[in-house]
Formats: sequence, structure tokens, C-alpha cells
Amino acid sequence: MEKGKILLNAEHIDKRFGITHAVNDVSLTVSAGEIRALIGENGSGKSTFCQMLCGIYTIGGGTFTLDGQEVHVKNQVEANKLGVSIIVQEMGTLSGLTVAENIFLGHEDPFMHNGIKDTRAMIKEGQRLLDEYGFSGIRAGSMIDSYNFEDRKLVEIVKATYMKPKILIVDETTTALSQNGRLELYKIMDAVRADGRSVIFISHDLNEILTHCDTISILRDGEYIDTVNAKEIDEDGLKRLMVGREIGSAYYRTDYGKAISPEVVLSVKDVTVPNQIYDVSFELHRGEILGFGGLSECGMHEVGKAVFGASLDRKGTVTLADGTQINDIPTAIHHSIAYASKDRDNESIILNESIRNNIVLPSLDDLAENHILKAGKLNRFAQEFADKMQTKMQGIHQFISDLSGGNKQKVVLARWLGKGSDILVLDSPTRGIDVKVKQAIYALMQELTAQGKSIIMISEEIPELLGMSDRILIMKDGKINGEFMRSESLSEEDLIAKMV
Amino acid sequence: MAEKNELRPSKISEFFGSDTFKGLLPFIGLVVILGIMYWLTEGRIMQPKRLRLLLSQVYYPMIVATGVFFVMTLGSIDFTEGSTLGVASIVVSVLSFYSIPLAVLGGILTGAAIGAVNGFFHVRFRLQSFIVTICTMYLFRGVCAYLTTETAIPASAEIKALDSDNLKIAITLGVLIIAFFLFKFTRIGNDVKAVGSGETAARFSGVRTDRVKFLAFVAAGALTGLAAFVNVIKVGSITSTAGNQLETQILISLVLGGLPITGGAKVRFSNIVVGTLMYTVLNNGLVMLGFESATQQLIKGIVFLIFVALTIDRKALKVIK
Repeated sequence: MEKGKILLNAEHIDKRFGITHAVNDVSLTVSAGEIRALIGENGSGKSTFCQMLCGIYTIGGGTFTLDGQEVHVKNQVEANKLGVSIIVQEMGTLSGLTVAENIFLGHEDPFMHNGIKDTRAMIKEGQRLLDEYGFSGIRAGSMIDSYNFEDRKLVEIVKATYMKPKILIVDETTTALSQNGRLELYKIMDAVRADGRSVIFISHDLNEILTHCDTISILRDGEYIDTVNAKEIDEDGLKRLMVGREIGSAYYRTDYGKAISPEVVLSVKDVTVPNQIYDVSFELHRGEILGFGGLSECGMHEVGKAVFGASLDRKGTVTLADGTQINDIPTAIHHSIAYASKDRDNESIILNESIRNNIVLPSLDDLAENHILKAGKLNRFAQEFADKMQTKMQGIHQFISDLSGGNKQKVVLARWLGKGSDILVLDSPTRGIDVKVKQAIYALMQELTAQGKSIIMISEEIPELLGMSDRILIMKDGKINGEFMRSESLSEEDLIAKMV
Repeated sequence: MAEKNELRPSKISEFFGSDTFKGLLPFIGLVVILGIMYWLTEGRIMQPKRLRLLLSQVYYPMIVATGVFFVMTLGSIDFTEGSTLGVASIVVSVLSFYSIPLAVLGGILTGAAIGAVNGFFHVRFRLQSFIVTICTMYLFRGVCAYLTTETAIPASAEIKALDSDNLKIAITLGVLIIAFFLFKFTRIGNDVKAVGSGETAARFSGVRTDRVKFLAFVAAGALTGLAAFVNVIKVGSITSTAGNQLETQILISLVLGGLPITGGAKVRFSNIVVGTLMYTVLNNGLVMLGFESATQQLIKGIVFLIFVALTIDRKALKVIK
């Protein structure tokens, strides 16, 4: 394909969901041989735009012209045939199928003989592709369920790219990948570019975007703002364009040398969860932010669950300062422990429920007068804390499934603010969340610790760990492998050295 | 101006797809079915004599439906009502020769025990409720048949003497009011809805999900046991067919009443009342119109299908727990 020629021309693309104008008259072009980043805050319409291009949503208005031909894609299989494929943010593989069946889903024809599938040929071809990509550790004949989230993402990458699409859309995939997985993905993106094809790359990680993309298009509230050259702009400039106003570059903490209180509020002793974590012991001090870092499979996420009493089959003890043992979730909540899961949609919030009911749920016992709940009181309570978190919503009775990721997380925090928890376990608190909400969450964390509350922050983002923690514990293979105190001289490399 | 015209049809279609409309649909359905039946029977269905008969068929299904309502709000299902009613009716009848309060208590405890068996297998062994309750349905239907093979089991004259609309209305209203209070103004209602909307998240929010699920099945059983008492008052002696197909009747009633089969946040307490009334009107009307029972089933099946298609929440589609 000829480099530099226009590969995709989107004209006046539009989409409404009820009263929400998700994509508002967006026009842009993507050239052949280009890696184009698409950025914007949560709810700015970037995912919706891409999902119309590949047939997940119907086009609300306007036209896509791909390689000179106007396209109205009806579904993903058709999109693939036209040369558009997508790697989605969520889990994009189907459980119950083998790796090979997932790779060739919707494209089984080459393996069909008189209506009968040649499973062996499919597995052989699947394995050949996996080997070619350098993912030989994944076996094409195995069930997809035997692999973890990251390996499944790698399978999705193969699925989306083996047929050499003209346009590859990568929708916030990197947050699910470890450093190694990311490097593999970047390599593939570079190969697509070298081949004269194009990539549309969606990410919240501005540093990653500036390093790996050629051009950057910015969307804000569904509207197209601008397209800039990656070489001619920096992170602050991008933030300005995304938010529409000046935003402080330093949203992490700036203080160093704060003494950690000697008062221990929670001690974890010899906690083991089979196949996850082994003999983990640590103490949490009053008013500190204790960071947990490591590779995604290092067990740090399980530590959060263990502290909250949510682990099944846990050994060892989790004890509060007053001697209370935490062995189950209701006890944990009753004794002022809060937990925000990495798996927000399944474990933190009840998706098919209203904002109000999500906020009041852990506090129902406190809100009841003689076991009686009054709607007015619940409403006021929910409204107060939703407002405190500045949740963008139509009202507290709106269903939470309508909200963007950042606003969902605000509701999660609102419920624990309402509960008045003294120990907060925040697992990946800013995962998939835009700059503005990120800033609000970091400010809140500092406000809470200033009030003497303690936070365990589990994070896959090294800058976040360095920027926010008073103390950092690094885990590897289910065990604590290193401890660092907050310091200006602490670098990413120091932490990485203990992770791998 | 042009824009306004464009907006109008979309607003109308938006209304028909909205939750407000879906919430109104059962009420509209009740009025429509009542209207059709009134027209087809030339008003006979509204005669006082007919209305009393209609009402007499409402009591015990409504009590049973109240219990099952909690189970279905969880997103679970319970197929044992019919057999529970059979077994509990036998217990009530036998005990009625000793003491009436003992008979009532015996019925409730029998039902609660069967509910506890269902809840235990569902919770402890993580079996889906429809599998568990289909198995126990056969089990207790068998018990019921075994106990009634020789002869029908008679109840005492004292218990039959209680047969009055006032008592039955009082029991039914009592059950409805207490259940409404628990559902609307206590943790119980919130917890059941939370489990129905998202069990994992509910657990992580501090809801004791296993306990809630177990208790819902016990409550459904206990209320069916109470309904058995009302049933015995009415019928006087128990045969092996007692409570036959009650479970499908209750399921259909609740769905007609607008209860989403996935349970969760969108259930309304009114589903119980509206649904049971609708089923009874439909049933009576078909009988009055002289349809054969096979035709009646066919018509009920069609109405049921249409309602499920109209009211189901496709966003929350998932397998029934």
C-alpha cells in the first residue's frame, strides 16, 4: 500500500444514546502507514467512534470511507473482511472454546470440508501463528480458560492481526498487559506501520502515546478537537487539549520526608492463599499510603482481598489494632475497612442497580432506625456523597451501568466515604480513568490520610506508586520481595528490579 | 421548528421502551384482559357471584406467590410449591384433628423444612436453583402420592368450619402487608435485590449472600405451608393431585405481573398482586367461555410468551441461578 495516502476518511460521524450525544459530528482522516492515537477523557466518545467503524454499534450518522470505498459495517466478521479489526478493552475471547477456535472465530471457512470442521488443521495453523508471533507458550489446542487474562489478550492480538487488517484498532488494551506483553504489542504495531497499514490506538497513558504514536487526535465530550503531531507536543499540551483548560502537571504528591506514624492500625501475619500468595506479613500504619506493586500475576491483588476478608481458603491472620480478627467481608466492613476492586464492574459495583442503592448498600445497618429504612434518608445520604465526589450523573436513581468508568469509580469511593471507613484498600484505583478524575482521586487520598485514615494502594502503574505512596512493598511470585520508603531518589528501575 | 418535528416520534418510541412504560405494562395488561373477558362473557365475569368465586381462587396463590417473589427477586427459581403445598396440606389435615394452631404451625414448619432443603443444596453445593427444585419437586410429589395412595386424607370438621372469606382475606392481607414492609423498609428487601442484580458485587458490599439465599427459600416454603392451611380450609380433604402445577401457575402469575425473570433491581412488589389477579381473571374467563382445558392451556401459553417477550430486561440477560 502506498504510504501517506488517505486510508480512512470519517465524515460527520454521529451517535446518540438516549439523551447522551456520545459522538458529535466527528470528521477525521487516517493515512496509510500511520499510528494514530485517539485520546480524550472517559466518555469523550473515542471507543464509541471506533466501535461504529468495526460494526459493534450501528453508525448514527455520517460515513466511513475505507480505502476509497464507503463502508457500513454490520458486524465484526464483516469488518474483518473489509480489513478492520479491533482489540477491545474488555475480555474479547470466548470461554469454552480452544485457543485456535477463538483465533479463527467467524473465519472457519478455510478449515471446513463439506460442512465438517478439520480441527487438527485449525490447531496446526493456530499454533503456527502463535509461534510466528513468539507466543509459543500458548498452545492452540488448549482451552482458552486455562490461560490468564494477559495470555488471553495475546490470543486476541493474534486474532485481530493475523489476517493483516488495513486498520487495526487497539482499544485500551495495554492496561491489561504487563511490560512484556506491551512490548510485544508495540512490535506488532510497528510492523503494521512498516507494512503501510494503519493503527488506531486508544490509551490513557500519555507517555506511552507520545513514545509509540505518530499523530494524536483529541476528542472532548464527543466532539473532535484537533489532530497533532506527536513530535511537536508534550504531556501537558495534550492534557490541556483533552480537558480544555490548564491542568497542573504535578497531580501526584509533592511532599517528601513525612514521618510515618508508629501507630499500627492493621497487621497481617503469615497470610497464605493457595496458588496466590504465601506467608505475606506486613503492618499498616495510621495515616500512611502503603503501595503494593509487582507484575500483574504477583499476588498483590489477592492481598487486597485477603485484608478485606474476601479470600476463599485463606490461612494466617488479619488483625486490627483493637484485636479484632478479620475473616469475612461483613466483619471487615463493620470494622471500617473499605475495598475498591480492580474488577470494578463485577466486584465493586452492582451494575444493574441505581447509583443510590450502590452507595447506601454497605451503610444500610447504620442508616436503619430500629431496623427500618426510610427512602428520604437513603436519598439524602446517597445525594450527599455522590455530590461530594462530584459524580457526573442525571440523578441518584440513574442506573450505574450508564456511567463512564471514572464516574463509576467515584460512586465506589462515595459509598466508602459515606461508610466513613478508616482503612481503605484501593486496588488499581485509577485503572482506565482519565486525568481529571485521576487528579480528584489522588487529592481525595491525600485528604483522607491527613484525617488519619490509612490506605493500601495496589497498583500496576509504577509512576503512581512512586508518586503517591509513603512506603512501597513489591511482590514477586506471591511473596513480598522488597520494601521502599518514599524518596525523591527512588526510581522506576529500583522497583522493577524487585518485580522481575 | 423542523427539529421539533423530528424529536416527537423518537420521544414516543423512547417512552415505549422506557422503564416507566414497562412498569405500567402489567396494569395495562390486567385492564385489557379484564376488558376482553368482560366483553366476551357479556359482563357475566363481573357478576357478584362470579367475583366471589374469582376472589376465592386468589388467596392461596397470592400467599405462595409472595414467598416465591423473594426467591425470584434473587434471580433464582423455585419449582417445589405444588409438591410442598401437597405435603404441607397432608400435615395440616392430620394435625387438624388435634388442634388448629398446631395444624397451622405444622404446615408452616413442613413448608419451611422443604424450603431449607432447597436452600441448603442450592447454597452449600452451588447447584442452580432450578435443578435443585426440579429434583425436590419430584421427591416431594412422590411423598405426597405415597401418603395418599390408599385414600384421600380427610381434614377435621373444625378446620372446615373455618371456611369464610373474612379469615382468608385477613390471612392474605396480613401476609402481603408484612412482606411489603420487609421488602420496602428493611435490609431484607435491599439484600435480595442486590443479590439479584449482582451477586459478587453484593458479597463485596457486605451482603451475607449465602444466608440471604437460604432464607429466601425457607420463606418461600414457609409461606407455601401457610397457604396449605388456607387450601385445607377450602377443600377439606387431600388427594395426590393437591397443588398440581401450582409452581407453573405461580411462575406465570409473577411474570404476568411484570417480574423480570432475572430478578434484581427492577422488581416491584405490585408484581405479586397484579400478576395473581391477572392469571385468575384469565383462567376464570377461559373457563366461563367454555374452552376445553387443552385449549385453555394453549391460550395461556401464548399470553405468557407475549408477556415475557414484552417485559424481559434484555440488558440483564443471564442464566437463572
